[in-house]
Amino acid sequence: MPYLEIRNLTRKYKDFTLSASFGVEEGDFLCIIGPSGSGKSTLLSIIAGLENPDSGSVILDGKDITDTRIQDRNIGMVFQDFTLFPSMNVLKNIEFGMKTKKKADKDRFALNLLKLVGLEGYEKRSVTSLSGGEAQRVQLARALAAEPKILLLDEPLSALDPPLRKSIRSAIRTIHDTLGITMLYVTHDREEAFTVSDSILLMNEGKSVSMGSAEELYTHPGNLFTAFFTGEGTAIPAHLVYENTTGYLFFRPEDAVLSEEPINPEMYPMHIVFNDLKIVSAEFTGSGYLLGLDYQGYPMLCMSRTKPRKKDVSLMILQASMQNLPE
Amino acid sequence: MREQNAYYTLRSLPGVLILSLLFLLPMAVVFSYAFSNGGNALMEAVEDGYTYRLLSFTLTESFLSAFISVIVALPFAYLFSKYSFPGRSAILTLSALSFTIPTILVVLGFVIWYGNNGILNSLLMNLTGKNYAVIEVLYSFKAIILSHVYLNFPIAFLLITEAWTASSDTAEKASYTLGKGRMRTFISVTLPMIRGSIISAFILIFLFCFSSFAIIMVLGGNPQYSTLETEIYRRARVSGNIPEASALSLLAFFITGAILLISSYGRTKKKTERKSRVLLKAKGRNLLVMCLASLLILLFLIPPILSIVYRAFYTKAGTFTLRAWEEITGRGFGLISTAMEGIIASFLIAFLSSLAAVLLSASMALLSARKNSVILPFLASLPMAAGSVTLGLGFSLLAAYIPHTSPIVSYALVFFAHLIIVLPFSIRTMTPGARTIAPSLSLSAYTLGASMTKTLRKVEMPLLRPYMRKAFAFSFALSLGEVNATLTLSDGHITTLPILIYRLISSYDYQGAAALGTILLLEALIVFAIGEKGGRNAVS
Repeated sequence: MPYLEIRNLTRKYKDFTLSASFGVEEGDFLCIIGPSGSGKSTLLSIIAGLENPDSGSVILDGKDITDTRIQDRNIGMVFQDFTLFPSMNVLKNIEFGMKTKKKADKDRFALNLLKLVGLEGYEKRSVTSLSGGEAQRVQLARALAAEPKILLLDEPLSALDPPLRKSIRSAIRTIHDTLGITMLYVTHDREEAFTVSDSILLMNEGKSVSMGSAEELYTHPGNLFTAFFTGEGTAIPAHLVYENTTGYLFFRPEDAVLSEEPINPEMYPMHIVFNDLKIVSAEFTGSGYLLGLDYQGYPMLCMSRTKPRKKDVSLMILQASMQNLPE
Repeated sequence: MREQNAYYTLRSLPGVLILSLLFLLPMAVVFSYAFSNGGNALMEAVEDGYTYRLLSFTLTESFLSAFISVIVALPFAYLFSKYSFPGRSAILTLSALSFTIPTILVVLGFVIWYGNNGILNSLLMNLTGKNYAVIEVLYSFKAIILSHVYLNFPIAFLLITEAWTASSDTAEKASYTLGKGRMRTFISVTLPMIRGSIISAFILIFLFCFSSFAIIMVLGGNPQYSTLETEIYRRARVSGNIPEASALSLLAFFITGAILLISSYGRTKKKTERKSRVLLKAKGRNLLVMCLASLLILLFLIPPILSIVYRAFYTKAGTFTLRAWEEITGRGFGLISTAMEGIIASFLIAFLSSLAAVLLSASMALLSARKNSVILPFLASLPMAAGSVTLGLGFSLLAAYIPHTSPIVSYALVFFAHLIIVLPFSIRTMTPGARTIAPSLSLSAYTLGASMTKTLRKVEMPLLRPYMRKAFAFSFALSLGEVNATLTLSDGHITTLPILIYRLISSYDYQGAAALGTILLLEALIVFAIGEKGGRNAVS
């Protein structure tokens, strides 16, 4: 049985219904990703007890906590906004939720946590004087100070600059590995989810669309939404290649090989070959060119190390990257 | 969150109950008189042409006062939201001070400064060599409007300046890049941004002038300048015709209630701007203009108030004297001998009523902010719609039902009347403060295992405290300067400081009034300083 289990959870809103079922193993780092309005934060709010579900249950460590008060759930949460208490300094904020009563123990624990989040010497600082990144680190330390069973992080880095995001997300991963705490991390940033997670739950329009490791979702997406959300790619109707078939063929740009000369399909029976494509765009990405192609009115994407000199090209799709996907 | 709402609802209950009780009880008595004898008084009031004359005059003076205050304030607001200069914050603070200056002081200040034998006329007579009053403004319609503008210009100036400064100027810059001139940009871009503040300033001033009392009674000085509010008082206290006074009260309540309802309905949710405009440093000609504008404001606001302090120590002829002060300290005779009693009573009533108001309204403000409640602000605005003279009348009629001879009962009634008058203002001051406390802040405390009471005590209250201090100061100042209800309710047992000043003005003892006025002014200044401290510490 998973450490955290979300069982047939539903929550209806005027124009949106959230429904989810999944499990998280103890010590796992699960990233919940999806476009804006897909229900990621609502899901987290229900797990934390900030909102109530219409039906279904939340089971943590074998105990049904669906109707348990927020205060008694022992679930930590790091919010996207600034939620440090302005009337208290950094130390008092961190000690606010501590279970131990002794001041000396509290101080020692708080100082250790500050060290863990890389803010040694910040204990007396006013929280209103902290930068965005520092404030989020203190929020993290404060949530950990309450010794939660799991830690929920709701887009904690979305308000920060990209370089700062990178450094804090790796700090979060290090803390996870050091403490072995189960974390659920909501983000809309694919790259962030890929780098920090053990597994990813992809949501769309209130539903969990797919779940797996970053590699699994990228290489074997299982559906078109997952395929496109996890990276760039081309989807073309399968009947263009195989007669009497339905669905789509999907391939990543890096799995398509470009040729400036026509390719004879009979020479490569294991691969799909397209001839007579036109290059419509070329974007320099640093490591090469992302080319936009047109094949009988269907747009395709492929990567090329060099910029092609000709406009009319051919494409060979490596068989391993082909998937027959339902829409 | 249901649990959280239930918690705040429970904590707000005492406040809601007291608010409802203190409003409903006196109003029920007033209304019962209005409808007594088959509603004769009400029918007569509705059919009487004089009622419409009263109404027409009340609406005219309120409209003119509000309109002139806003129009005069606009150019000053433009300058103060565009340029910064060394005296800017001092002028704005001085304007904020007018919120806490009791109306009776304005009345007194006007009599001493603008009176036919006033300081201004003495100065002008000396300058021009004439032996008659150069400026004859008192006891006229002009005096009413001028004193209303005096009291309310700072409100309009502050509200509009604040909104204007807080609005971003990027849209204006965009308009300039699209080739539009200053005037076109002002009308199409700037005005829509500050329109809300102009309208709310106008309505606030209109309502204030609608229920204006002491100014009309003293500075109007002519029965033709009667408003609904003064007529209610006159009929209740002078003619002793309670049903007629009640009928007029009912009429006034519905009119102000309708205005309040319409204005709250039309209020759209304010979008908070990401970036407020950067003020330009005034230099050269601009600095001169700013200094001139500041001088104009100072010349308008300072002399009447300062003349009160002057007159407390000098006779009309300009001789230094401590007569009034000796009388206050008990060595003298006459009306003023009860001064110490009045000072203590005023202080105690103001202190207790504002303390009670702040304690009761803290939970109500939090509930109102968390639930985005419509009912609570409406409930809180009802006593404002009723008007303080009507509430005072209600309490005095209630007192008739309680057989008492002890002055303590009289003081208790004044305390309750003051509490119901200041409570809405206290709630209104605190609710925006409660709104600045992000709900996620409380939620994060809950996720850390803190109970709702601990969260309230440790997280929400410390953030609300500056607003509580501000609400206390505001309520204190309001109660300290309260004349309308206290005078209507007064049964001879009660002598508060403003009532004493009012009586001394009526008996032409301006020096005594000025001495007491100086004390009242000092108290108002102290309270203002306490409130301002609250403003600076407010965390948004």
